[in-house]
Amino acid sequence: MSIFMNFLRTVWVVLRKDLQVWVRQPATMAATFLPPLGFLLVQALTAVAVGRSPVALVTLDHGPKGVQMQQIFHQADVFRITDTSPEQALKLFNGIQVVAIITIPADFTQRVEAHETSPVDVRVNNLNLDFTNDIRRSVPDAITQFYQAQGESSAIKVTMQAHNLRAQDVQLFQYSVLPTLILLLMISSLVNGGLATAREWETRTVKELLMAPVGRGAIITGKVLAGFATSMLLGVVVFLLCYLLGWVQPVGIYWLTTLLTMALVALLGSGLGVAIGAALQRIQPVIAIGINVSLYLFFLAGGVGVLAFEPQWLQNIAAFIPLTYGRHALEMAVFYSSSDLFGRDMLILVACALAALLLGTLSMRRGIAH
Amino acid sequence: MNEGPKTIASVVSTHREMQEGPKTMASVVSTRREMSNMQQIAYTLRVIWACMKKDIRSALSERTFTIISIVIPVNILILLSLFVVGGGYAPTAVVMQDTGPYAQQFYQAMDGAHSFRLQKASAAEANDLLQAGQIVAVVTIPANFDTSIQQNQPVQVRVEINNLNTDYTNDIRRAVPLSITSFYGKAFPNVVTVVPKEHDSYQQDTDYIPYLTVSILVVGLMLGGTLLSAIGAAREWESETMKELLLSPASRWSIIVGKMLGALVVGLASVVIVLAVLIFVIGVWPIHWGEVIGFSLLTMTIFIAWGTLLGTWIKQRTPVVALAIGSTLPLFFLSGAFGPISFGTPLTQVLAQLFPMYYAIVVQQHAFHDFTLNTYGLPVNVLILCGYALVLIVVAAIVLRRSTVAH
Repeated sequence: MSIFMNFLRTVWVVLRKDLQVWVRQPATMAATFLPPLGFLLVQALTAVAVGRSPVALVTLDHGPKGVQMQQIFHQADVFRITDTSPEQALKLFNGIQVVAIITIPADFTQRVEAHETSPVDVRVNNLNLDFTNDIRRSVPDAITQFYQAQGESSAIKVTMQAHNLRAQDVQLFQYSVLPTLILLLMISSLVNGGLATAREWETRTVKELLMAPVGRGAIITGKVLAGFATSMLLGVVVFLLCYLLGWVQPVGIYWLTTLLTMALVALLGSGLGVAIGAALQRIQPVIAIGINVSLYLFFLAGGVGVLAFEPQWLQNIAAFIPLTYGRHALEMAVFYSSSDLFGRDMLILVACALAALLLGTLSMRRGIAH
Repeated sequence: MNEGPKTIASVVSTHREMQEGPKTMASVVSTRREMSNMQQIAYTLRVIWACMKKDIRSALSERTFTIISIVIPVNILILLSLFVVGGGYAPTAVVMQDTGPYAQQFYQAMDGAHSFRLQKASAAEANDLLQAGQIVAVVTIPANFDTSIQQNQPVQVRVEINNLNTDYTNDIRRAVPLSITSFYGKAFPNVVTVVPKEHDSYQQDTDYIPYLTVSILVVGLMLGGTLLSAIGAAREWESETMKELLLSPASRWSIIVGKMLGALVVGLASVVIVLAVLIFVIGVWPIHWGEVIGFSLLTMTIFIAWGTLLGTWIKQRTPVVALAIGSTLPLFFLSGAFGPISFGTPLTQVLAQLFPMYYAIVVQQHAFHDFTLNTYGLPVNVLILCGYALVLIVVAAIVLRRSTVAH
């Protein structure tokens, strides 16, 4: 019993010491905390424009069909439209203020009523397929709506009956919250855990630790828990902030699964960090390797994209990356309110976290032997 | 490391020689002044050279860190490119309840919409895929599709959308109508008379990867340059070797320039590797080779100056690293990596123009693709970048001077 109490006491002392070092470095805290928030803010700001390209609309026909077409372009909610003259439109186009100029020709009504081919002129700045394809999809979309507006007399009889899986669309920046959180947890826990460990060697305080009559396992556990605690704190604060802003809305039991997943990711990162720190024993290599490991783990698990929509070879690689399962569990809990494959995800994360702890212990023991 | 004391000793003797100037005879004052100016320049160059050499040697002694820092830009290039490797096509299941000729034609129209990655599935399979988040949408072509088309009767194509990410969701909502008009355009060319007539500004489209990888190149140079120089500068404070530098009579800005040059020399390897991968492996061939080389060096210089400032200001490696990494992704998304910022919102346009990464992306897109992304013109963009470099060097020197006072 007293051995166990000693173990806990040592863990607590090491944990408290590392936390105090962390708290006394406000610059480190700010530098870890602010960029992810900045990223989310940038995502929120840019999301307004995603998929809604700016276009100049020139309506040369003021007949009924021309005006109807103009209204449909406005109602389509796929463009940010500026109604303008041909000269002004050209000025906007040359000034790279609009992606395209859409011109409804002067004889549009006449041609439509005569059932003649009625081209809607689209001049596109096709420097980037992302924007170009948006225009190429959106103009036919508006044309389809134009025909639909004609009711039973419409020439187009095929219509789209859309059903959404969820009541509200999840915006791109809302979707990005979880990958960002994973990246924050991984980088923070891995780099902080690694630095806290390597620092003991650089400042030679590791000697004091070694001379103390305490178990090595307790020292390692304390260091891993310190890295875990700081990263988890940051993760929870960012997540709560996103919740308060309405960007993520887990419900009921899924709060618990979300927090559990975050904790396991932080534990995994911290264990890996301590392992790397103890193996390298110097701050600079730890920084360099820590960053690269975090980035590879993050991007190979899908990064800021949607893994399921990526090519199969990439999905096959991702199957061997533990963060893939952390991300899956988080997405299921937050976006689907589902525990689909939760057992598998947790099992893999727990196994990887334990493996990282074991690796950390081995590295530290080898380091201590030196 | 033996270079340090030698440099300081020689620097001090040179400084004494310079101070002897006022003691000389009046008749040779002007000659002496010229000599003094020459000596001042030579002395400054020696300080720059010594600082640069010392930083390169330090980098070489930290082999693991240096090698990994050099490959960071190329890692960023590879990893961020994975983000677009799918080409932005939305994985979609099509349930063909009708396999008649019109239904097949409709399927072909969807396939040609450049928006979907299609797979045929049964209703149950498609539903499972949708629920598991494996596909964006299920498009069901109803059993009466051909009959309805033949009889000119209304027919509905059911589209179930996993509206998880509006980027993909909006593509689906627009691409299905596109497929409908394409289908009619081919099956009944005389029925649908309203058609888009497209005129393109450039002869050929530029795909996601060639466009985005150029922007990623800039972000890679930013991270690599910032890390190399920031850690070099912060290390001087952490190991307290900065005291020796500050005690020498060397000017602050020559120390800063020397340290920057040291990081630049090491960073050159990084530039060469990342450009080689982009050009020869990914296959993005530049139109203006000279611009690519020049702008890459200019970009590296700016971010090395930024890193030097950051390291000098914060003086600790850990927060410097966290800030360098953490600011990379926000700036990447803000600075028009995906297209001209003028297509974004006014607020993001203003914010983006505050950071050099935006101008660096503009000039590199011109160098690689001959694209014009703003109306400032190439010389003005380059001047702005040079201005950033100059301002950052000056600010770093000022911060170093203030740090001296603080200590």
